[in-house]
Amino acid sequence: MTETYLNDTVINAKGTLCSRSVSYPIEASAIRKWAMAVYWPEPAPQKFMDAEYAPEDFDAFAWGPASYASLLPGDDSSVVVRHGINERALGFPEWKFRAGLNGGMNCTYGVRMHVGDVITDVKSVGEYTERQGRNGLMLITQSISTWTNQRDELVKRTINTGICY
Amino acid sequence: MNSSSAPSIPASAISRIQVGDQLQPFIRRTDFDNWNRYAAVNDEFLPHSMNDEAARREGFPKAFGMGNLQWSYVHSLLRAFIGPDGSILRVDVQFRNPNLREQTVTAHGTVTGIDGTTVSIDLWTQEDEGARLAVGKALVSLPSG
Amino acid sequence: MTVKVGDELPTFTRETGFANWNRYAAVNDEFVPIHMDDAAGEAAGNGGAFGMGNLQWAYLHNMLRSWIGENGEILSIEVQFRSPNVKGQTVTAKGVVTAIDGDVISLDVWTEQQEGTKLAPGSAKVKMGK
Repeated sequence: MTETYLNDTVINAKGTLCSRSVSYPIEASAIRKWAMAVYWPEPAPQKFMDAEYAPEDFDAFAWGPASYASLLPGDDSSVVVRHGINERALGFPEWKFRAGLNGGMNCTYGVRMHVGDVITDVKSVGEYTERQGRNGLMLITQSISTWTNQRDELVKRTINTGICY
Repeated sequence: MNSSSAPSIPASAISRIQVGDQLQPFIRRTDFDNWNRYAAVNDEFLPHSMNDEAARREGFPKAFGMGNLQWSYVHSLLRAFIGPDGSILRVDVQFRNPNLREQTVTAHGTVTGIDGTTVSIDLWTQEDEGARLAVGKALVSLPSG
Repeated sequence: MTVKVGDELPTFTRETGFANWNRYAAVNDEFVPIHMDDAAGEAAGNGGAFGMGNLQWAYLHNMLRSWIGENGEILSIEVQFRSPNVKGQTVTAKGVVTAIDGDVISLDVWTEQQEGTKLAPGSAKVKMGK
């Protein structure tokens, strides 16, 4: 029975910058497909079919970053961690979980994304907490993702919360 | 870098091929992972390939994959055989049995004829126990040499 | 349009299942067994496959975009995923105005299934299009 997930390494990691990814230029067809999927089975708004701009929830990294660099000292693993942070490189315990669930998202938006934009995503460690649930002791993780465009304008800042047990 | 001045013969060159040669098999374990990704690029979201219950309603024991994906596997098999300088001239496949979830599908080919630089191939896909799922023929062209 | 506290937003509704989830996986490269395979969803303690939180997130955005109009802006949004969106549920995104401060409108937003159980409750701030 796990008594706690939170050791000093985990607690002290809050705020650590972990990685920087740069997207491929956003393509019109990616916006179109995204909109079709999230509005399906009804038609997507024409402005998205015309790719005037991307829906706010659009993921510019869905099909891999154009480049990726770890910002953690000594981490040369080149492991691209798209949804979250490289816990192994941070020296976190190698937890074995039965399930990892999306606990929630908190996002603040800046400027819109358009065709041709190149997005930079810097990920950092949020707060890790734990609590008892019906599936035993649960670890609540947070990763923070800050997106800027090629003009260094803020596109969005998202806090992703994960629940692991 | 190879410093030899002798012209190298491509591994897929016609002179290296004999009737009876087996192509290097192309193998995939198949499940929703493969099929949903294929649906994603081919806009082929078929209930019987996404959902066991839907397949059972159609009389199959569980979900089954797209013939189009077997078609792609056969092409992957052929592309590896012909190498960068060869061409696939013709492929003809019949789908005989469903590719059920969790089957490991292997695409095979055997050289049946050589005419100049054109090679005839019998090809098929089979599941773990050897039952053939798709059978067919292909004509490919290989570089001379 | 005059907006006042207590106004309810036009809803955004979808019947959910593999047809939606796999299409979403297709654009977000989110091919996760718990969303594709009943056995994997069951092993995770949810009785079967269930949908992505990210797609509920998208549905909430769809609702907000439709309401704020062409030049409106979604300033911020946060949600918590409380209950799994299991196969066959009809999910409705809803919102209600809770405060107005200048041109910034605060909302409670949430998704719920057909019996009214909230799946993802949260809040948002928006500006209406001119």
